[in-house]
Amino acid sequence: MKKLMEISLGVVTSVGGFLEVGSMATAAQAGAMFGFQLIWAVVLGTICIIFLVEMSGRFAAVSHHTISDGIRERFGFNVFLWPLLAALLVNFLVLSAEIGGVAIALEFATGIGFQWWALPVALLAWLLLWKGTFGFIEKGVSILGLVTLCFVVGAVMLRPDWTAVARSALPSMPVHDVANYWFMAVSILGASISPYLFMFYSSGAIEDRWDKSYLGANRAIAGLGMTFGGTISIGVLIVAALVLATHGVTQVDDYHQLPLMLIPIFGFWGFVLFVASLAIACFGAALEVGLQQAYLVAQGFGWNWGEDRKPRDDPGFSATYTISLVLAAIPIALGLDPLRITIFSMALTAASLPLTVVPFLFLLNDKRYVGEHRNGILSNAAVIFIIALGFVLAVVTIPLQIFGGT
Amino acid sequence: MKLLRDLLDKQVVDREQVKIGKVDGLVAELRSGKPPRIIAIELGSITLARRLGARPGRWMARLAVKLGGRQHGEPHRIAWHKVKDIGIDLEFDIDVRETSIFAWQDWLRDHVIGRIPGA
Repeated sequence: MKKLMEISLGVVTSVGGFLEVGSMATAAQAGAMFGFQLIWAVVLGTICIIFLVEMSGRFAAVSHHTISDGIRERFGFNVFLWPLLAALLVNFLVLSAEIGGVAIALEFATGIGFQWWALPVALLAWLLLWKGTFGFIEKGVSILGLVTLCFVVGAVMLRPDWTAVARSALPSMPVHDVANYWFMAVSILGASISPYLFMFYSSGAIEDRWDKSYLGANRAIAGLGMTFGGTISIGVLIVAALVLATHGVTQVDDYHQLPLMLIPIFGFWGFVLFVASLAIACFGAALEVGLQQAYLVAQGFGWNWGEDRKPRDDPGFSATYTISLVLAAIPIALGLDPLRITIFSMALTAASLPLTVVPFLFLLNDKRYVGEHRNGILSNAAVIFIIALGFVLAVVTIPLQIFGGT
Repeated sequence: MKLLRDLLDKQVVDREQVKIGKVDGLVAELRSGKPPRIIAIELGSITLARRLGARPGRWMARLAVKLGGRQHGEPHRIAWHKVKDIGIDLEFDIDVRETSIFAWQDWLRDHVIGRIPGA
């Protein structure tokens, strides 16, 4: 019974991690421009992240190392430096995008320009990290995050052509805007397969003191949680395809177009639900990414870390998330368009994947870390596929950014 | 045991289980006719910078002296005979508070973090 509770909590938590400004914005853009056609990218991204999350949880539960610990120890400092720098940069942009997402939601709610909200949002996130515990943040984010289910409800109420939805789960060639189509596909994959998500998950497993008895729970949480998150993303895409496109919005290049999505379904409450979903999903992700920056640095250099400690007991750790939040708020406070930062950071995430995913192939097959719980053929095939996909994404991202970026 | 594979970059904890850093470097003694022997581990930014090359090492040492004074111009060393346990972490029978390894974290706590309410 206790395990069942933990699994359900874990499932709900992973939704909090999965659904953030990136997946919402890319799904909405894709839906408006290409209808259901890009659902396959969400499905593919979700399958990839299920494998990576399961592996990082298994690695932490069996070896009692986080993924960052493992990379540093197995490959040495000189190799570790590259994924460290790449992840810090990508996380910085993602954190900025998340703060921007909350700021935009607050602009919708109050009419005060988003750039004025950047610092207050960062301050509130900092306050929660400063005073809160890991469990508090985990549970708070997840329970409030359930509001994003309104997209799934909305999608069902719109009565989409379900056979067309199902058909779009397989890739098909675009008939118009070819470069844009592939750029959207890359951004969706970047939004789904976020390094911060699987690295954070392994730190969480250590914070929650997982051991081998959690392997079953880990599998359930990874599978169900990410599927749940992916379903909500598909919900966003379906709603965007049916509402935005029919209202003449085929290109989402301004975030002011977004709240329109739920209004035809829920009326005024649709506006409220959209604003709440955006604010909560992005705020939860901002907490996780901010914390992940501190985990990454503290674990990489071997300092004390842990969200349940008092800041004065791990000054290096708490200084890192403080600085990360302040830095990430600056681009938004300067008025840079959050939607552009979001799309750019998702494409960059995709390009950085090889650096963070290649180590999985070694760590999860190393008996000294995972013993008999090594990867099977299926998991290894999945990692190799993700690495190959990552390399392709890394090569195509920049040209697509130039020709297809909005 | 393979030294580089099994020791380098491992987590180091003191006897109170405080995480004090990673094994950033190993100090070995060369003995004629016998295999070399590990006499100490090194921790800290100077050792890490040296791993990237001689020049970054010199830069980091100069920076450390500038920020922390003469006593920070050399990497921190812990004698190998203090090792207590080799498991997931490498435990040494020392108390980090009696070393200068955490000097910068102490400074950070006393001058910045500790002054913010709620710390």
